Parts: sequence; structure tokens; C-alpha cells
Amino acid sequence: MDAPSPLLAGTLDLLILKTLTIGPLHGYAIAQHIHRLSNDALRVEEGSLYPALQRMQVKGWLTSEAKRSPTGRQARYYRITAAGRKQLLSEEKAFRASVSATTLVLEGIKP
Amino acid sequence: MTPRELFGRLAAWLRRDELDRRLAEEMREHIELLARDLGRDGLPPDEARAAARRQVGNVTRAREESRDAWGFPAIDIVLRDVRYAARGLRRAPGFAMTVILTLALGIGANAAMFGVIDRLMFRPFPYLRDPGAVNRIYLQSTYRGHTNTAVTFPYRRFLDLSRATSTVAAIAAESEWRFGVGQGDATRIRKVAGVSASYFGLFNAAPVSGRFFVAGEDEPPVGAMVAVISHELWASDFGGANVIDDRLKIGTLEYTIIGVAPPGFRGTAEGGRPDVFVPITTIPANFGAWAQSSYLGDYRWDWVSVLVRRKPGVGAAVAGRELTAAYIESRAAARLLNPRVLADSIAHPRAIAGPMKSAAGPDAGLESRVLLWVAGVALLVLAIACANVANLMLVRVLRRRREITVRLALGVSRGRLAAQLVTEALLLALVGCAAGVIVAQWGGVAIRRLLLPEGSDFNLATDWRTLGVAFACAIAATLATAIGPAILALRTDLAAALKSGPREGTYARSRARTTLLIGQGALTVVLLVGVGLFVRSVLSVEAVPLGYDAHPVLEVTLDFRGHTMDSVESVAARRRLLAAARSLPGVSSASRVNSQPFSTNTADLHIQGIDSVEALGRFNFQMISPDYFDVMQTRILRGRPITDADRDGAPLVAVVSEAMARALWAGRDALGQCMHVGIGLHPEAIARRCTTVVGIAENSAQQNLSDDPRFMYYLSAEQFAPADISTMLLRMAGPAAASHVEAVRRALTRAMPGDGFVVVRPLQEIVDDRMRSWRLGATLFVAFGGLALVVAFVGQYGAISYQVAQRMHELGVRAALGARARDVVWLVGWQSVRVGAVAVLVGIALAASAARWVQPLLFRQSATDPLTYSIVAAGMVLAALVASAVPAARAMRADPCTALRAE
Repeated sequence: MDAPSPLLAGTLDLLILKTLTIGPLHGYAIAQHIHRLSNDALRVEEGSLYPALQRMQVKGWLTSEAKRSPTGRQARYYRITAAGRKQLLSEEKAFRASVSATTLVLEGIKP
Repeated sequence: MTPRELFGRLAAWLRRDELDRRLAEEMREHIELLARDLGRDGLPPDEARAAARRQVGNVTRAREESRDAWGFPAIDIVLRDVRYAARGLRRAPGFAMTVILTLALGIGANAAMFGVIDRLMFRPFPYLRDPGAVNRIYLQSTYRGHTNTAVTFPYRRFLDLSRATSTVAAIAAESEWRFGVGQGDATRIRKVAGVSASYFGLFNAAPVSGRFFVAGEDEPPVGAMVAVISHELWASDFGGANVIDDRLKIGTLEYTIIGVAPPGFRGTAEGGRPDVFVPITTIPANFGAWAQSSYLGDYRWDWVSVLVRRKPGVGAAVAGRELTAAYIESRAAARLLNPRVLADSIAHPRAIAGPMKSAAGPDAGLESRVLLWVAGVALLVLAIACANVANLMLVRVLRRRREITVRLALGVSRGRLAAQLVTEALLLALVGCAAGVIVAQWGGVAIRRLLLPEGSDFNLATDWRTLGVAFACAIAATLATAIGPAILALRTDLAAALKSGPREGTYARSRARTTLLIGQGALTVVLLVGVGLFVRSVLSVEAVPLGYDAHPVLEVTLDFRGHTMDSVESVAARRRLLAAARSLPGVSSASRVNSQPFSTNTADLHIQGIDSVEALGRFNFQMISPDYFDVMQTRILRGRPITDADRDGAPLVAVVSEAMARALWAGRDALGQCMHVGIGLHPEAIARRCTTVVGIAENSAQQNLSDDPRFMYYLSAEQFAPADISTMLLRMAGPAAASHVEAVRRALTRAMPGDGFVVVRPLQEIVDDRMRSWRLGATLFVAFGGLALVVAFVGQYGAISYQVAQRMHELGVRAALGARARDVVWLVGWQSVRVGAVAVLVGIALAASAARWVQPLLFRQSATDPLTYSIVAAGMVLAALVASAVPAARAMRADPCTALRAE
């Protein structure tokens, strides 16, 4: 396995929003989920997850509440809001557009 | 930032401590879960824990980054800077106090002056709707290069101006009087405003009780006898009871109260607040048949001021043009009645839709000009204060140079450093501003008493306009004082400063600081020259020989309030009252006069052999009864005064002033000469009637204080107008005439027939009024000049002290090399004096170049008076010397041992 790649700038928000579309999750679960889905290829410095969660809450994309987890531990669950879904759509679109444009350039110039 | 985010940040900011705790908890939990999972993968517990910590990364940084989301990072930085500045200032209380006090004086002076000027000139009247669209009308004519501005006009002119309807949406008339209001002992003189019914429409005011009067109630010839009283009169005299339909005697007439104005309503009255508003067309009825027929019949009586509201989108100049056309038509109508109305081609008439406050109008008068000058002086005081503070701040930055250098070396950005210096200056300026408002409130009380009409509100705490100006001053002061130090800090040469040893570098002259010192010194010189000129001007006003002694004299005005008497009764009543006045305790003599000093009248005067007496100047007369010269202490130089023998039927006599005798009968004896006085008779009869000069009196100031030639003549009241004269002058035995006012008022009001009453006031008040604008200028200049001197002195002292402190080492070396104490004192003193001398030169040049604008404000005093300039120059140099005395004494103690040890 290659060393995990660092995240592209600005994609952390996108990943968090996308992850939360499956349902309310606590911070650790979000980190695990991103690892798993990317086959451990994306390295999220897990500490940086939390400032992002705070920022997105302030912007109104997420809400959170304290709940007891299935294992009986007290945890804070994050939930995506309607505004968050709208943001997700637009960020997803922008990301895809950017990736495909970048790919076009990369494939257009053969060494 | 979207509103939602703004709200989110605000909500988070309010709970930021809780959020932070929660976040820390969450991340600890995260690490634990991660460690547990890693442990399941087979890692031993402490390794799993360490790996989890690594994987999560820097918890503190995450918390700090989160903090940026909870609130407003920019504001946090500002708050941090403010706290830092406050801490720094707490460590330098002497510096902080000096700066705050200096700025408080500068800002306070400006806030107080603005508060006064705004109230006198600019602040809209309470309740006035859309003040920007309302104008007072001024009528001007320019004849032989002299412009005459009128703010009161004949009532018919108001009607004529009402025809300008294409630019004017509403026009209203107003006229202020002082009438006796009430009955019997409760009668008081109050301000009564006669207004048109349209007047109330200018305001957004609703009566608190009853109604205002309406169109139809102000119709000529005599409007409805209805009155609206002020809320304040209602509260004080009627106890807030129901007064609607009550009767109220105003002047000579009975009115019915129909409404109570809202609190603070003062109409458009400048000066005191009117207590009663009545239809303007009922005012002439107060003055009898002449006024009643004149106010509608001709254009001779100027008594109505006119206010207009322009139509939307119409500028004042456009309205002025239409009103000018109406004015010219009105003059044509007046010319039909009186052919002496000058042709428009000669008089150049025009109407101006000008400021509501006549103090800001085209003919604002001496007092307004003095006030604007003093406001300029207040600005100078602020400039001096700022120069001073800038200097102190420069010194402070120099003192902290090492600290600043170290911080720069540690990586603080220069921008942040500058921002911190500006924050410190801003903090000082804001505290100074708060203290300044207190100073202004305090000092403003004195200024208000001097300037504003009685009962004006001067509460700065609720006066947003003045507070705004004080705040603007504070911001300006911040900019002015912080920029120099900030630039200095930014320019600091890091390497050089770090290299310099523990002695903070040696003494270095700072051109910036010397310039500031010279600047503030020069401005102080300008102010002190102003102080000198205004003080000498007021001294010359007071030194003007009046030709009478007003101090022990009371003026009594009789108001018969329409009590009808035939001429015999009327003469008898006036004689009886004069006798009653004479018998009052404390009265030493009494006389009747037809006018006050400075309000005397002219009459047609013809002298055989002189074509036109008028061409020689203005000749005023005063009608008097025999004791007049005794009451006023005006000396009779030759001949005799008017006596009891000069009564009706006896040959007509006159006493003339010395100046008049010399002007009319130069080289001849004035006694025995014949004058033809145009009072009370047809012109042909006047030509046949001789009034013989029987005495020559010393010149006396009866027209104005200044350089008029004082042409006065005195006629016997008993011969010319025995039944009409309603003013008496009483000479009191002691000097404190004012203490008798109330007793005299009571006693003589009781002696009046019918509802009549008297008004008593010290004659000196009238004289003082004449000197007011000069005294005002002198008082304010002295106050602000003194302030400036104190500020500049403190600045000079601070600067020299600092220099000496900086040079202690060098002075010690000098002492070690054999310099004597005298040499050291000379060194320090000379430096201070040199700065002072340059400041004097610059200041005198500035003052001399401003002289020609100050000249018109001075009374018989040259604005380039060498004596004043010399005294100020000597004073400033002396002050510089005194300011260096303490530092010089300290310099004398410079210790050679300390200096050499440090070497």
C-alpha cells in the first residue's frame, strides 16, 4: 500500500458532509468512515476534523447533540442540515468539475 | 459572512468556554476510542495510546482553530490589543494621566464650544418637520455700498410675500413680544409670540390638551382672542389643571386659552421660549389705534418675521428668486403710499431664503463672528494638545525602543506593532474624550450662562450632536498623535538598535519633536496675542467715558395695560407715579425719560444757516424731567439744566451736548441759539417755533459706545409730551441698585391704576448688554488662551525633562571633564529658550497675518499692537525658561562618578 495521500485543500468539508448523509455520527465515527471508504488511502489528521466540525456548525450546515452511543458511551452526534445538503450539492459539483478539468489537462499533455 | 453565520458566530462566542470544554472532552474521547481500536489490533496499551495521540495530532491547535470559528477573530485581536495597551498604560500612570488630561482639556473645549454654537446657530428647532426645507426670510437692500439686512418686516409685506406660491409650500408669520401676562400681583412679563395659523403646520407637534388655532382665527383686522400656552407655563402657573376655556389677560387684552403646546415646544423663537402663542393679528390691538391702522394701512412698522417651507425639490436659491420678485412688487406697492421708498435700481432689493437661526444668517452680528473665532481658538487648543501628546508619545516610543526592537526580532510584524501603538493612542483619546465631555459639561455651564438664553438645556449626556463632535475630536486626536510614533516604530533599524548597549543609545536630537514643540509654542503665541488684544479691547470699551453713571440707577417702565385715561388724567397719573417713586426708601432722585440710553430717537431738526443738519450726522434727543442730570450724573458744562419752570406754556428750551454745540455753532456761543425741532407739529408751525438752547451738557453715550460724535439734545418732557412718557429712571442712594428691584416693582405696581404694572431693571444691564460681545470675546479668549498656555507649558517641561534624563550620562561626563554647575544649567536653559524663541517668531508672524480678520472684532485697539506682541513674546520666553528650571536643577546633579563607572 502506498503512503496515504494528504487531502486536497478544501475537500475535508465535502467529505464530512457526504459522510453525514448516511445519518448522524460522532467525530470518531466520521474519521473511521472516511478512512474505510477511501481504503485508508486518504489520511485525515483526525485533530483537524474538529475545527472543521465547529466551523460548519457555525455556518449552519451541521447541528449536533449529545447522545448515548450503542456501546453506552456519551458522545456528540453530528447531523447534516438542509443548508448543509445544499452546500454539499454545490461543493460536490464544483469538485467534480475541477477534477475533470484537471484530468483533461493532465491527459492532454503526454510526455 | 451570511446573517446566519454572523448569528451562529455570535451564539458560539457567547458560549465559547462551554464549547471549548465540550470540544476538549470530545477529542479525549476520540483518542480513547482510537487507542481502544488500536489495542484490539494487538498494540500494547501505552503504545496504542501514544499512536492514537500521534494520529489525532495537536489538540491545542485544534482548539485554537475552533476558537476562530466561535466569534470574530478580528475583534479578538482588537480586544487583545486594548488589554495590552491598558496594561502598558497602567504601568505608566504619569504618562497616561498627562495625556488624558491634556486631551480632555482640548476635546472638552471643543465640545463646549460646539454645544453652544450648535444651539445658537445650527440645531433645528424642536418639533420642526423636515428642517432642511424650512427657511427664514431675510430682505436685503444695498444702498451706497452699505448692505442693510432685515429679519422683521411690515405685516403687509408678509401678505405680499405670500404670493410666491410656485416655490413655497407654506408661509408663516411670527412676532415676539414681552407682555404682562396674568392679573394683579401675579402679573409677570412673559414672552408672547404672535403667529399666523399656518405657523403650527411647520411642526410635527400636537397640543397636549385642546387645540392650536386654525385658518380664519388669524384674519385681519383683529384675529380671534384665543391663546395657546406653553407646556412649561401650564405646569408652573396652572399646575397642569384643565385650563381650556380659561380667560388669560395678555398685555392689554383678554384671551381665551384653547390649547397647551407639547413640552419643549418653542416655535422658532431665538432666545427665550415663548410662554404664550396668540394669533399675530391680535398683536397690534395691544398697541392702540395707531398700530391697528398702520399695520394694515402702510409699510412703516417692521415687526413680523417670515418663515417658509419650500416645495419638495425646490432649492433655497430658487425660492429666493421668486420671493425677490414678490418683494420687488411689494416695494412698488409701498412706493404708492410713500414716495420716499427708494427705486429698485438704487436699492438693489433681494429676498434670501436663509438659515432658520438668524445667528447663522446673512447679518449675523458681532457676537456670532466672535463665537466662530472662539471656536477656531478651541480648535487651536486641541491642536496644541495633540502636538503635546504626540511629543509625549514619541518620547514613550523612544523609551521603549529596546522592548520594541526585541519584539520585532522575535517576529512580531511591524503592522501589528503599529496597530498596537494606534490602539494605545485610541484608548487614551477615548478616555480623554470621556473626561473631555465632563470638562465640557462643567465649563459649558459657565459658557452657557454667558451665551445662551435663560432656561436652555445644556445636558451633554443626551446631546448626541455634541457627543458625536467630541468623538470625532478623539478620533482626529488619535490619528494626529499616533502616526508619528507609529512611523518611528516602523522605521526602527533592528540591527543597530539590538547592537546598542544597555545605555539605550546616547542623546539624539529629534527633529520631529523639536518641530512639535515649536508648533505648539507658536500656536500658543497666537492665542496669547489674541488674549492680549481682546483684553485690551475690553479695557478700552470699559474706559469709554459714558457721560453718565448707570450703576446706581434703576429703569422703571410703566405699563398701563390699556387703562384708558384722558390726557389730563394721564399727565396726573404720571406725575403721581414720579412722586411715589421719589418717596420710596432708598431712592435719592427720579426723572422721567422717553427712551433708554442706546435707544434714543431722532427728529427732524432745522437750524437757521445750515442747509441740512442731517448731513452733519445723527442728532438724537431725549425728553426729560428736571432731575434727569442729577439722576444720571451728567454734568452741565455751561448754562442751566431743565427745571420745573420749563413747563407747558413757558418758552421751549433745550440742553445740547458739547459735541452738538460745537458741530452746529462752531466758533459761536451755543447758548441762546434757536433750534426748530420737528416734534408734534406741522412743518410750517415748526419753522415758526423756536426751541432755545439754555445749557450745554457733557457728551454722553446715548446712541452707541463707539465712535459716533455723540450729538444729543435734551428737551423738557413737560413741554413736548407730558402725557405719553412711560419710563422713569430712579437713582438709588447705595451702589447696589439691583437689590432694590423687587421692592420698587411691588411698590410702584400697587400705585398703578387698573391692571397696570411696572417693569424694573438696573440700567447697568443695558450698558452691559452693549459691552457684551467684547467682554464675551475677552472672557473666552482668556479662558482658552490660559488653557493653551498650561498645555504648552506642560509639554515644554516634559520635553526638556526627558532630554535631560537622556543626557544625564553625557552631562556627567561633562562634569567629570570640569564643567561647572553654571555651564550645565546654561546648556539646558539655552536649549529651552531657543525653542521658545523660534516659537515666538513663528507665532508672531502667524498672528500678524491673521490681524486683519481680527481687527473688526476689536474696540479701538490695533490688531498689530506692538506692546501686546512684545509682552507675549517676553512671556513665552520666560515660560520656556521656567519650564527648564526643574530639569536644569536635576542636570546640575549629574554625577561624574556614575557616568565614568558606566563607561
